[in-house]
Amino acid sequence: MVALAVILSDLLFGIMLGCVFAVVAHGLNLIWGVVKVVNIAHGEFIMLGAYGAYFLNVFGGFNPLLSAVVDGALGIFVGYAFYFSFLHRELRGKERITLRSEMVTLVSTFGLSLFMSNLAVVAFTGDFVGINWSPGTVALGFLELPLGALYVTILAVLIISTSVVFLDRTYIGNAIKAYSQDITATQLVGANPTKVASLATALGFSITMAGGALLTVWIPTGINPYMGALYAPISFVIVVLGGPGKMLGSLLGGLTLGVVIDVLQAFVPVSLAYAVAFLLLIPVLLFRPEGIVK
Amino acid sequence: MRIAGLGVTFFGLLALMLLLLILPFAFPFSTSVILINLLFYTALAYSINFITGMTGYVSFGHVVFLGIGAYALGASADVYGLDPVLGVLLGAALGLVFALAIGLVTLRFRGVYFAISTVVIALAALNIVLELPQLGGSQGIILNLGFQPYSWYYTIWGIVLFEMLITYYINRGKLGFGIRAIKSDEDAARSVGVNVSALKLYLFGLSGLFAGAGGAVFAWTTSGVFPYETFSLNFSLQMLAMIIIGGVGTALGPILGAVVVYLPSYYFLTVAIGTQLIIIGFAVVVIALFIPEGIVGTLKRRSASLRELLE
Repeated sequence: MVALAVILSDLLFGIMLGCVFAVVAHGLNLIWGVVKVVNIAHGEFIMLGAYGAYFLNVFGGFNPLLSAVVDGALGIFVGYAFYFSFLHRELRGKERITLRSEMVTLVSTFGLSLFMSNLAVVAFTGDFVGINWSPGTVALGFLELPLGALYVTILAVLIISTSVVFLDRTYIGNAIKAYSQDITATQLVGANPTKVASLATALGFSITMAGGALLTVWIPTGINPYMGALYAPISFVIVVLGGPGKMLGSLLGGLTLGVVIDVLQAFVPVSLAYAVAFLLLIPVLLFRPEGIVK
Repeated sequence: MRIAGLGVTFFGLLALMLLLLILPFAFPFSTSVILINLLFYTALAYSINFITGMTGYVSFGHVVFLGIGAYALGASADVYGLDPVLGVLLGAALGLVFALAIGLVTLRFRGVYFAISTVVIALAALNIVLELPQLGGSQGIILNLGFQPYSWYYTIWGIVLFEMLITYYINRGKLGFGIRAIKSDEDAARSVGVNVSALKLYLFGLSGLFAGAGGAVFAWTTSGVFPYETFSLNFSLQMLAMIIIGGVGTALGPILGAVVVYLPSYYFLTVAIGTQLIIIGFAVVVIALFIPEGIVGTLKRRSASLRELLE
């Protein structure tokens, strides 16, 4: 009975961890899938979202769930700013992204990533900080679940499923999906490609920064300028596992990674568990480049 | 091997290297320490130029070979008391072996997929080293090799000279045609009979070899290997910054970029600590977006006479 409880709670924690990973990677997935650009600085925007939640908590007494809403709203502006400064020149008037433009976006966002993390050290100092928010636990049979993590899980699933419904059911969502498939055809039916691509980027950033705020519930003392170096590779692996552009893929990839890390931690040191999780990327790219589920 | 009509750039670089050969005797020690660092960054720039500059495969995780070289020298000197010069050779050999092994798998991926797999490998390598007590874990290895500026200087000078000559050999020779074909259109290159996979692996191996040698010299000069420092992606940023600012794929670009990146950042290091990486990061963003050909590429495009002279 006790052993079963341990296994069950391990699994449940893996699933909850997977959901928060999924929402953190979801913004990257949306941008990657639609505009076909990988933002190497993705982790730094998660870091920005986490610091946003931290400062809202320190100065406004906001809890991370409330901060996620504020961060999400800010993320829209950040996303538009990113699109017009980094992507617009490379994507404008092109039917598909060229190899040259791809290199430009990779290198410039890599520069941005180190610019942001090094600037954050100066602005926020290199110290680890965290948000002290614990809404208690709930008893589920013989399991004790922390309520904070449970709320985050629910919100994460809600954000991802809302984005799926938005893309499937609304006019503008359909335009985004169309853009991801064929830019010329999207233009032919009267959608402005710049508007569509910039909106998708803005939504991606909104989700990323909200994800950063939700993540703070899981890392009570883990907000620091270099946290991007952990969550960016996690996001890359999740998106590749799920298949870039498949919205439910984030959830699938996140859950896989969460459970893998949680189970491995029982056998090897934490850093090795993460190293193995990072390296999952290679076999998936080799054998299932379209994601683990077709 | 067909190297016809070596131009002004070649003899200019050769003259510069000869000047650097005698410079330590003409100037005080402090200058030669700056020169050692400058040559170290130049060596890194030429190393990443082999793969990212010549083929357009962006290797963000290049720091992994630097780390392997550093640990090769650190562990061999610490445990077996190996001579540091042999440690550098060992670093180069291990850099080559790891580059071939990693390249065999990752060079199958194109564009963003290659780039993110290199990032992920670099971060995984750091996490693995942290858990290896044989390599000192998170403490790293502290070496006691002493202050040997002349040995450092001529070792790194030799590495840079080799890199320049090989860069010339590749760009001017038959290999260069195949490699430029890969950069402009890999599928087309393959279809006209260029052995794409072998060429990419050859270049990746070369870049791993020299990054390994450079990393070993880094461990030697800093008398220690520390995991967070040696596997820092900031090194990758600096390497990329140098070839992007200088001009990707060219023979002159890497050393030009190293001078332009290193000398100001040396200045900022003494004036405002912690700001040099912010400025380099910003410079990379601006240059990648607005002048992606770098200094050499832009000069060549602007002026017909310089097009003949610079390479």
